[in-house]
Amino acid sequence: MFRLIHSARTLRTARLPTLARATPLSAAWRAPTRPLPIYPRRGFASSHQSHSESNASSGMYALAIFVSMLGVSYAAVPLYRIFCASTGYSGTPVTDSTRFAAERLVPDGESRRIRITFESNTSDSLQWSFKPELREVRVVPGETALTFYRAKNHAKEDIVGIATYNVTPYRAGQYFNKIQCFCFEEQMLRAGEEVDMPVFFFIDPDFNDDPYMKEVNTITLSYTLFNAKYAKNIVPGQRP
Amino acid sequence: MSYGRPPGIESFSGKPPALGSFPLDHDGECKDFMKEYIKCLRANKNDNGACREFSRAYLQCRMDNGLMAQDDMKNLGYQDSSKPTAGEESKNK
Repeated sequence: MFRLIHSARTLRTARLPTLARATPLSAAWRAPTRPLPIYPRRGFASSHQSHSESNASSGMYALAIFVSMLGVSYAAVPLYRIFCASTGYSGTPVTDSTRFAAERLVPDGESRRIRITFESNTSDSLQWSFKPELREVRVVPGETALTFYRAKNHAKEDIVGIATYNVTPYRAGQYFNKIQCFCFEEQMLRAGEEVDMPVFFFIDPDFNDDPYMKEVNTITLSYTLFNAKYAKNIVPGQRP
Repeated sequence: MSYGRPPGIESFSGKPPALGSFPLDHDGECKDFMKEYIKCLRANKNDNGACREFSRAYLQCRMDNGLMAQDDMKNLGYQDSSKPTAGEESKNK
């Protein structure tokens, strides 16, 4: 019968029966003259001391993974912002000054004229009338164009308005570059005052290379005016 | 900003203007130039290529009256006006 031996250090000696000899019945089993060692059989459980060592080391591994995951989740915030800013993913404004370089502002003589139509909307809390002076302008990509909106303050006090815009069709918005306009900044009109607000823009020359833009012949620019008092956070991204 | 929205939903895809915002022309100093430009466009079926001179004149008026930062007309897309057609300009560049 074998015994499970836990300690490696002690070598138990056991007694083995000696070689059979012709002995009388009375001379029974006699102890061996020298002790014979039995090597301990190791099971799957290690010694008491390596239990705690391996527990401690796996605990350290788990703690290290936990701390590194925590660090990665903190680092993800600026990394995601950098990724979005460089690729323009999900509508993040891409601010790249090379698109406005003088070489790109050259009218492309060979391409067709694109119709840019203008729309306007006002918020109900704003007592201004806001209409485009020109309903449409026909431009080629690369050609800078100017258009005007007329705004009149019908109220009896000075009101500050702020405008946002959007471009339809959606995909054409990335080619609609504005050099200067009146959006995203607060504009104050005195009571009863009327002004003309210009928009200076161009269609990016890359418009002709985009296969999605082959069928696009009309681009609509739509401005919406809000009362700056009630519209604190309507400007997406950073304000210039 | 649009994180978490389902794909295909339109989000704002515009960029802020390169030179910022035009100061408002409260005194109407460049109103005449604007009227000339609009008259030209109405006469030419809203063709921007025919009325480049007038828009250039309007921007020049704005610069002269302090309503716009001084800038070289080439940076604003107005190449040398002595070239007659737009096709020639693109070939030369």
